[in-house]
Amino acid sequence: MFFAILNGLSVGAAVFLVAAGLTFVFGILRVMNFAHGHFFMIGAYIAFSIIGQQSDSLTTYLLASLVAGVVVAILGVITDFTVLRRLRHVDHAYVMIATFALLMVASGVSKLIWGQNSYSISPPTGFGEGFAMGDVFVSSFSAFVFVAGVLIFLLLDLGIHRSWFGKVLQGVASDSWMAGQLGINVPLLYTGAVVLAFFLAGFAGGILLPNQGLSPGLALSYLLHAFVAVIIGGLGNIRGAFFASLLMGVVESVSLVVLPNFPGLSIYVVMVAFLLWRPQGLFGQEGHA
Amino acid sequence: MSAAIIAEGVGKNYRTIAALKTVSFSVEAGQVLAIIGPNGAGKTTLFKVLTGEVLPSHGTVRFGDVDVSRMPAHARAARGFGRTFQVARVFQNSTALDNVVVAIEARQRTAGNSPARWYQFRASQSVIAEADQALAAIGLADKRDVEARFLSHGDKKRLEMALTLALRPGVLMLDEPTAGMSPTDRNQTVELLTRIRKETGATMLLTEHDMDVVFGLADRVMVLNYGELVAIGTPAEIRANKAVRELYLGEEVDHA
Amino acid sequence: MNAVSGTRTALAIAAGALLLATLPAWTTPAIVFLVGLVLIDSIFALSWNLLFGFTGLTTFGHAAFFAFGSYATGVALKMQAPIHFLLLLVVVALLGALFSALVGAVVLRRTAGIALAILTMALGEILHIIIGYSNVLGREDGISGIPRPVIDLLVAKVDLQAGNSYYWFLCLVCSLVAGALCWLTFGRFGRVLRSIQQDAERTAFLGMNVARYRLASFTIAGGVAALAGALYAPWVQTITPELSDTFRSAQPMLNALLGGAQSFWGPVVGTAVFAVVNFSMRTLPGLAELVVGVILLIIILVAPTGLMGLLGKLAWRMPGKLSPRRALGKLPRCRKKAIP
Repeated sequence: MFFAILNGLSVGAAVFLVAAGLTFVFGILRVMNFAHGHFFMIGAYIAFSIIGQQSDSLTTYLLASLVAGVVVAILGVITDFTVLRRLRHVDHAYVMIATFALLMVASGVSKLIWGQNSYSISPPTGFGEGFAMGDVFVSSFSAFVFVAGVLIFLLLDLGIHRSWFGKVLQGVASDSWMAGQLGINVPLLYTGAVVLAFFLAGFAGGILLPNQGLSPGLALSYLLHAFVAVIIGGLGNIRGAFFASLLMGVVESVSLVVLPNFPGLSIYVVMVAFLLWRPQGLFGQEGHA
Repeated sequence: MSAAIIAEGVGKNYRTIAALKTVSFSVEAGQVLAIIGPNGAGKTTLFKVLTGEVLPSHGTVRFGDVDVSRMPAHARAARGFGRTFQVARVFQNSTALDNVVVAIEARQRTAGNSPARWYQFRASQSVIAEADQALAAIGLADKRDVEARFLSHGDKKRLEMALTLALRPGVLMLDEPTAGMSPTDRNQTVELLTRIRKETGATMLLTEHDMDVVFGLADRVMVLNYGELVAIGTPAEIRANKAVRELYLGEEVDHA
Repeated sequence: MNAVSGTRTALAIAAGALLLATLPAWTTPAIVFLVGLVLIDSIFALSWNLLFGFTGLTTFGHAAFFAFGSYATGVALKMQAPIHFLLLLVVVALLGALFSALVGAVVLRRTAGIALAILTMALGEILHIIIGYSNVLGREDGISGIPRPVIDLLVAKVDLQAGNSYYWFLCLVCSLVAGALCWLTFGRFGRVLRSIQQDAERTAFLGMNVARYRLASFTIAGGVAALAGALYAPWVQTITPELSDTFRSAQPMLNALLGGAQSFWGPVVGTAVFAVVNFSMRTLPGLAELVVGVILLIIILVAPTGLMGLLGKLAWRMPGKLSPRRALGKLPRCRKKAIP
């Protein structure tokens, strides 16, 4: 059980890495990007192209993730200019479907470039085997994922709530027109937000590569998990997404122990129950979503 | 005659703000009551509570003998009141004719007496004829096949009135019926409302800012401020009321 | 104008019907199979669009009802259940509608917009997982070898296994269902739905119970989807849990938008075009997805009314006019004005 919880924390942190970008984009651009999981996956594929199935050094691994992040960020900017920007004044139903169309484009492109095979990837040898915590063995990689998730959360949280840039972002998120009237370069800020969110997705793709390997279903699987975290945490809320991701990871891990016959079912059930009880999420505001 | 609308101790709180404190009043059948007051006085909130758009935090609303305080809007509408909005709400993508057809069919459905057979999918001829008549009565006959979003603001308000009247309501609740209108349109609206009143004997409740309209139409006037009832009485009484003059009328600049 | 476009529609429908009926005579069995799939998917897309284009509800879990219909029928046929096939179809459709009503009663009350979309997506995936892990339903491998039934019509026995019988059966049933949906959409019920879609509050203030209409729409859509699934099982003869996943749920959405969500026949047109694209690009995996994705994006950003909207310059108007034509036995003319 203890192992399940620890494992869950790691899984949760992994989901957060994806959920963060998703909820961030929604908070600033008011677009629920259904294609986010696929951008994450493209990042994974890019990193994979650099590392292969086993990376020897830690530095290559981290560098590859950074490269993946940068490439996906560029893709994000292109996407923003061609598609996302134009969705501002479109009916929200069509926005969702547009991002779904984006998902198809991303999916088609990655299949054409990288094919549909599955690969498993081993963690970089630089990590070592792992260590013991109590009478449970924790793999270094899992620990690393958790630490990465926490670090990124702290960076984002600090950035949004303490820094000047973050305050400006919050202003833009709540009232972009007014922000523009105050002299803030809103389009530039949007681009900045997009760059950040997509970089994060790509970077996460690289980092998490050894976590679950590569498979065609990767994108959708992470997307759905991220949705759960974002819904429960409240749309646009990074803190909410973080806690919800961890919570969800633990719930899923524990339910694997308790209910082994239907893996993956528990989180959906939790999300459904949540949406019915409190559609605005744990930290969201009334009347949102 | 029994009162058509009775509100007793109605109040509405939005979290910590009391938009409406405790308001009680009644409107006799066939009468016209105008609600006036400064912006933020609670007129719209009172309206929403009366029409069922919002449920009151306390107090009761009755239509005749029926307690409708907890009834949702559509149920109250089905009981025979029509409601118009400050910014006319019509079905933008449908033609003027289709708008009225929908309203008529809604009335028939509520009353349970539709003339059309179940397998007919087009609107029956009698419904269309009635719709045409309704449009002609408010002067929109030539705009019959124009989609509502292409109509002018004044035309939309008239269309909304036609929709509302198609329900054959016993009570009409009009939210700033002349808001944003030119003087000609405004006069036409007052004429229309007077005519409706005479022809159907409907009870009317309206909020307004234009004092000419108010004093021209209303049997009684109610003044709200800060969610409370300041004064209620005939137009003459209200005009003479010192508190009201200080609060509201005195500050008003004559509308052009 | 009405007479002209009315005749035009009637001609189009007649030509289409002729084309469909004679298909096996001039194409390969593979094409016949695909066209059968198009017929089924068209009904599925029409049912989804009842919700989206005409009631204003966006669901991403519609495949759950389709999967339900497929599996219910598949199991019944595989186990040689002693029930008349036509009755089986009716029962499955009704059960699907019931299932849909139960889901809708809970879901519609509490959520809307994005939350509704994600919630329905989750429900679809939940069913996907449940089916995938049920031993009774064949787990990941699903059910295969589903036999096509024999219909006992008292006067004659129609063996749907023989030749192209099932194909013609599909033509008939799908046309009937499409016709019924058309009748529903353009009748009073559909008018109320469209009013709700345009302005729900206004509709409420006309005395209509908006929530009940939405639920009714959801129920009907679910029932029709289940029926589509029921027709699907004997046609493909092998069904797997993927029938309930998000991609399957997105299929009717893509079809409807491609063809035009505000037009009644849009989803049918979209399904056909999509099938053509998929088929012609089947050799390169991923290419079809890419092309469809790009087309959809262009449609949403440039021409949200889809292909039918573009064709809508023919000024097809909404029925409701004083036209005395209503010959029994003829399909009602379903013209719908495109909405930009």
